Amino acid sequence: MVKGTIEVEHLTKTFKKGNVQAVKDVSFNVKEGEFFAFLGPNGAGKSTTVQILTTLINASSGKVEVAEQDVIQHPHEVRKHIGVALQETGIDPSLTGREMLKLQCGIFGFNKEEASKRTNELLEVVQLTESADRICGNYSGGMRRRLDLALTLVNKPKILFLDEPTTGLDPSNRKSIWEYLERLNKEEGTTIFLTTQYLEEADFLADRIAIIDGGKIVAEGTPPELKSQIGNDLITMDFTSEKETKQAMEILNEELEATDLVNKGQQLVMYVQDGTKRLMEVVRVLDQHSIPIQSINVDSPTLDDIFLKITGEGIGEQKGEVKHG
Amino acid sequence: MGNGLIKDIWLLSKRSVQTTLRSPFSFIPNLLISMFFLVVYESGLSGISQLPAFDGADYLAFILPVSVVSAAIGGAGGAGQGIVKDIENGFFSRLLLTPASRLSIVLGPIIAGMLQLFVQTLLIIMVAFFMGLNVETGFFGIIIVLLIAIGWGLAFAGYSAGVALKTKNAQAAQAGTLIFFPLIFLSTTFVPYELIEATWLKVAATINPTTYIFQSMRTVLIDGWQWWEIAQGFIAIAIACTITITFATVSAKKAVSRG
Ligand SMILES: Nc1ncnc2c1ncn2[C@@H]1O[C@H](COP(=O)(O)OP(=O)(O)OP(=O)(O)O)[C@@H](O)[C@H]1O
Ligand SMILES: [Mg+2]
Repeated sequence: MVKGTIEVEHLTKTFKKGNVQAVKDVSFNVKEGEFFAFLGPNGAGKSTTVQILTTLINASSGKVEVAEQDVIQHPHEVRKHIGVALQETGIDPSLTGREMLKLQCGIFGFNKEEASKRTNELLEVVQLTESADRICGNYSGGMRRRLDLALTLVNKPKILFLDEPTTGLDPSNRKSIWEYLERLNKEEGTTIFLTTQYLEEADFLADRIAIIDGGKIVAEGTPPELKSQIGNDLITMDFTSEKETKQAMEILNEELEATDLVNKGQQLVMYVQDGTKRLMEVVRVLDQHSIPIQSINVDSPTLDDIFLKITGEGIGEQKGEVKHG
Repeated sequence: MGNGLIKDIWLLSKRSVQTTLRSPFSFIPNLLISMFFLVVYESGLSGISQLPAFDGADYLAFILPVSVVSAAIGGAGGAGQGIVKDIENGFFSRLLLTPASRLSIVLGPIIAGMLQLFVQTLLIIMVAFFMGLNVETGFFGIIIVLLIAIGWGLAFAGYSAGVALKTKNAQAAQAGTLIFFPLIFLSTTFVPYELIEATWLKVAATINPTTYIFQSMRTVLIDGWQWWEIAQGFIAIAIACTITITFATVSAKKAVSRG
């Protein structure tokens, strides 16, 4: 029995077209049964990595083993043990959902009865039984995603690769996919490699997260590890103008020797070890300089904050000004 | 887990046929155009077959090869269209991610295109019989016409699949089929070679392999078993198939390899 593991060493990928270095010296391991999330913004290199790991494209250099097989030397073996849902769904719109699933079963060597049985099971799982005999060209986006997911499960894969499986789904569809993936991971022990732009998604689902930005892994660890990397608390202050934010940043930097500060326009975020104690000092110092604070909060950091701190950018935000100590 | 090559080819050809049948607008226009050649030119131009250059040939038998070639080329073009559609809707990648044989993934749409061609050609010939077609060489002559249609269609299927796999783009593949026009019309399409006046058209007709395809078919339909005239069509097919299938194979290797 092969193990559902992934080993990646010094992986790089340069696309000749446009001479883009999409992945730069990436190394990581995923253990059998682990739920691993690759988290990063647009263009970070997530899809490129997935395509290399799943035998679709070749790496420029580096070594990749999936299900204990080298993806370059034994792609055929690797394909037997993986299920892949790429960022774009892969569906023939002129077939019905049932026909798509049966075809996929056939390709994996199922006979007629096995194929019918597995098809019915999977239709049930992704709640498409009622629409199974409709042409999938007429499915909604959410239904297509669900069918695509069902297609990846046909061969009971050891490792499931999901490239942004919930992007564009409404909250209830997203929730049901999350629940299903959790069950698959816990009950069947399927190794899952998932990419996402949503921090809450990685936080909620993953045992371990790698944050990728500009083709490099910039941080890696369990969600609590990542959170503790940046201090226990953060203080968020709102001001009425960008000028005041700037002044406050300078004052806090000089007087409190606060170094981990992120300027987000009219908002300033300060990473600290003891939030409640520092809060008093912040209020006092800013008051001395007569800078009015609109609001001020102490929170424990979310992955969003981690991302902001590490990459200097919030998801979908302008580049922030970062000061590191 | 996984199958032999034959089962993969069977599964994927079956699916391509299903896909074709469900989008009738992918083949109906071509079938209508082919019928148009037969019906409209037969009724509109048949008078010119009184000219001595026709040697008393029936214009229906003369124009039938044009209709057959048009149907064959259109049917074979379905192969490329099928592949482009698969690439565009991501299904091609989905197949590449399974253990399915790489050959079957490309061959499925090509086989379906060839079947489409075969059915269309048969329909055209049947309609011609209803219109009173008389075949000099009888039943075996019809077999020859079908073989030429399939051979010429295969050459064109190779071309259209090659363009599809190379460009991976519907517009480009569509533009590629425009080669259809010079191939069909810069030839002995409506009149025998002797009646072509413009020198440039004579030159074009001599270079154009379709001329030899028409010639082979017309020979069996009108003149009888004149081997050299018939063989020239098959030689043209052999040369064209060698070129286009090599092109398709090279493009296919690139498309399924992981560069
Ligand atoms: N086939 C290709 N040819 C050339 N460049 C490419 C190709 N595919 C991706 N790239 C480039 O590689 C970089 C990484 O792209 P990739 O698709 O892996 O990012 P991503 O993290 O999946 O982004 P998104 O969240 O938008 O899906 C980008 O700069 C992209 O333009
Ligand atoms: Mg992507």
